[in-house]
Amino acid sequence: MKGLTAPRWFAGRARLPRGEGPWPWLVAGSVALSLLMLLALVLLLAVRGLGHFWPSPVALVSLEDGSQLAGVKVREERRFDGAGSEWLLRTANRDLEGGIWQWVAVDAIESVSHPQDLVVMSRTRWGDFIGRLVALEDASGNQQEQAAWNAFEARLAEIQALRDERDRLRGDVVLPLVRRLERGLDSEARERLAAANARIRGLQRQMIGETLILESADGQRLAQPIEQVLRAWRPNAMSLPDKLGAWSRGVWRFLSEGPRAANTGGGVWPAIFGTVLMVLLMSVLVTPFGVLAGIYLNEVAHQGRLTRVVRIAVRNLAGVPSIVYGVFGLGVFVHGIGGTLDTWFFSDQLPSPTFGTGGLLWASLTLALLTLPVVIVATEEGLARVPEHQREGALALGATRLEMLARVVLPMTVPAMLTGVILAVARAAGEVAPLMLVGVAKLAPQVPVDGDFPFLHLDRKFMHLGYHIFDVAFHGGDVQAAMPLVYATALLLVLVILVLNLTAIFLRHHLKMRHVALPRH
Amino acid sequence: MIEPTPPVATSSNATPLGKRFRQGRDRLATALITAGGIGVILAVLAIGVFLAIEVVPLFMSSAEVPFQDLSPLIWGTLKAACFALLFAVPVALGAAMHSSVFMSRRLRSRIKPTLELMEALPGVVIGFVAGLVLAPYVERHLAGALSLLVVMPVCVLLAGALWSWLPPRMRRLLPLGWAGLWLVPWLALWVGVALFLSPWIETQLFNGDLRGWLDSRFGLDYSARNALIVGLAMGFAVIPGIYALAEDALSGVPGHLGEGAEALGATRWQTLWKVVLPAAGPGLFSAVMIGAGRAVGETMIVLMVSGNTALMSLSPLEGMRSLAASIAIELPEAAPGEIHYRLLFLAALLLFIFTFLVNTLAEVVRERLRGRYRRLGGGS
Repeated sequence: MKGLTAPRWFAGRARLPRGEGPWPWLVAGSVALSLLMLLALVLLLAVRGLGHFWPSPVALVSLEDGSQLAGVKVREERRFDGAGSEWLLRTANRDLEGGIWQWVAVDAIESVSHPQDLVVMSRTRWGDFIGRLVALEDASGNQQEQAAWNAFEARLAEIQALRDERDRLRGDVVLPLVRRLERGLDSEARERLAAANARIRGLQRQMIGETLILESADGQRLAQPIEQVLRAWRPNAMSLPDKLGAWSRGVWRFLSEGPRAANTGGGVWPAIFGTVLMVLLMSVLVTPFGVLAGIYLNEVAHQGRLTRVVRIAVRNLAGVPSIVYGVFGLGVFVHGIGGTLDTWFFSDQLPSPTFGTGGLLWASLTLALLTLPVVIVATEEGLARVPEHQREGALALGATRLEMLARVVLPMTVPAMLTGVILAVARAAGEVAPLMLVGVAKLAPQVPVDGDFPFLHLDRKFMHLGYHIFDVAFHGGDVQAAMPLVYATALLLVLVILVLNLTAIFLRHHLKMRHVALPRH
Repeated sequence: MIEPTPPVATSSNATPLGKRFRQGRDRLATALITAGGIGVILAVLAIGVFLAIEVVPLFMSSAEVPFQDLSPLIWGTLKAACFALLFAVPVALGAAMHSSVFMSRRLRSRIKPTLELMEALPGVVIGFVAGLVLAPYVERHLAGALSLLVVMPVCVLLAGALWSWLPPRMRRLLPLGWAGLWLVPWLALWVGVALFLSPWIETQLFNGDLRGWLDSRFGLDYSARNALIVGLAMGFAVIPGIYALAEDALSGVPGHLGEGAEALGATRWQTLWKVVLPAAGPGLFSAVMIGAGRAVGETMIVLMVSGNTALMSLSPLEGMRSLAASIAIELPEAAPGEIHYRLLFLAALLLFIFTFLVNTLAEVVRERLRGRYRRLGGGS
């Protein structure tokens, strides 16, 4: 009765008259705690990740000493010495202030307003600007106030069109021509390249011209060349539909653009692409081998002690830490096979390695090895679920083993295999540790697929969503500024994995339903 | 529903030639499957062998090998895993007990997949949230965070006490079977209250500076990236795994055992504690073992949360550096073949052996347990 003394004693003292004492509540509390933590994490990611793209209002803060500053309030925190609390404002304007953050004691604030004419600008140099637009100067003169804003917005749209045209030219015309020239002398290509470059220069010339006169909240003026402004908006003057539009455009830019400003700005398109491509390659590699091994273990191998040991060993490999697979990949694939390939086929490029360094192929292979046990186990479970009489029936009707497998057993196990592959993909998409050893890169603006032969560059390094999170959050300069982006990236990664897992769960459920109808012998 | 398809009896099948063709094809396919299967399995199993081969020169070499460099790393790995398990084991086993005995069937069929999804959360995301959001927050609100350790169980017990005083009609509205769900807002409320009141408590008890008080009283130095946070984050990561296996073990116990106990007048808790738990004990043990294996090998969370200083201290308020994190940091820079490189391979081999042994133990225990359930179930 030793185990029961504690609850009884407690129940007697605390006068819990009915029920079963305190323990059932404590264990119920642990379910609630797990759910609470999960909920808190997901909510945090969703709110911060999606909130990043919302054009948040800019506050104009007047301090008691008469000075003013404008910025987006990020959070409020209690001071370490306990004397009141402080606001953290993102005031931007790195070129004027030297930094983009300011702490303001709440006690020192006299008033806070949200004037409609405050402008936020995203620029190619110096980061964001927050302040007022005073005038727009061009060759013919200058415009002020609302007229300046209208003219500025119109001009900004023109410049954006020019910029898109220039990027298109660079990507579609100039880059292929440069590659052609690299391969050999080609006078026609040279002429076309010169023409394209001239056209780009022309576009660039059309962008410049106007200068913006800007004023920060504390009265400093600044002449801003207009071609360095990417976007401008007045968050306090925006209506709800405007904000929604701006929000969705922000989300789209995040998904479709490459990173800017040392990964602390811009989007994550190359990382999405790298993750998806790596995972696709991995599943192409892992599916046939995993299924083959599963079929062998369950259908062909003699079911003896050895097979049982092998089965347990394979199952255990699913529990081996992923970093160990990374070490294996580095030793065998990168330095072993990759190094050998380099000395055989790419010796002209040595000592700079081609395959003897981390790359897409080695990363996919390593992750395929890592997820093999998942697929093997899932296939085996699916095969074990097929009733024995189905096999016997097929054999009795004269089918050979191959025919029995191919026409009767395997079609019944397809959902199980699919579940295994999807679980493998979900696991691989979230793994970062082994990739750090076998081929992920901080910044690889060139995605590993392009129009250049052989189209898929297996030796290239690639970007990965998970590594992007790690890199930006822990190696970036200004972590505070990069945080919203990390939240958004983390949310994206979690969503991808969530969708994959939900698919697997749905498939497994479907599979169970289907086998319920089959009588077990 | 798939019907077994009989082989199509065409004329070509009837001839000896067709038969021989089919048999030959069958033999070829069997040989291919055998070769492929054995090849894949050997490739997978080769990992341990390869690591061992790479490590052997360390022991053969005449040069001084700094094996002692590994000891703080092993210490850090075990410390991180211990703190993670200290948090995860009670929560996961408690959750498993609740959901196997008390929880309503309908809720259970929803909660299990939800916790499975929790397992799929990537370590890098958990590590980021713990390292860059939770750690700075706890640094500022240490008293509030520590007070939660007391507040959580107390508020759950309070809920139980209040519940038993409710009129029966209200009690039916909030059944114990759904407590896992309706306790969530209650817990959240008390977490909020505790965090709100903690500055006041800190002022009253510790002169408004808990960290200074801990330092002067116990000599505990506080670093922002510490074992407490690692334990919490990694515990969060291993809870679902332990929960799933423990739940399977508990709900696999043959029903008539518990029914017998309840028929003799035992409450559900007594049945669980005296009958079901002893029967499922080995299963719970193997669940904890597998959790331990995961906690030892987890890389990203430790890398991002622990601060990566190679300390050998027991203090929960200081960081550590683990084997896995060291490999991730140092191996990309190490030159192949040199001592440092091989030492890191040794670290990987240690991780491999440890997790392999722990998992094998768990698997063997689970296999035995399955046999036991079958016997118990069959004996009725």
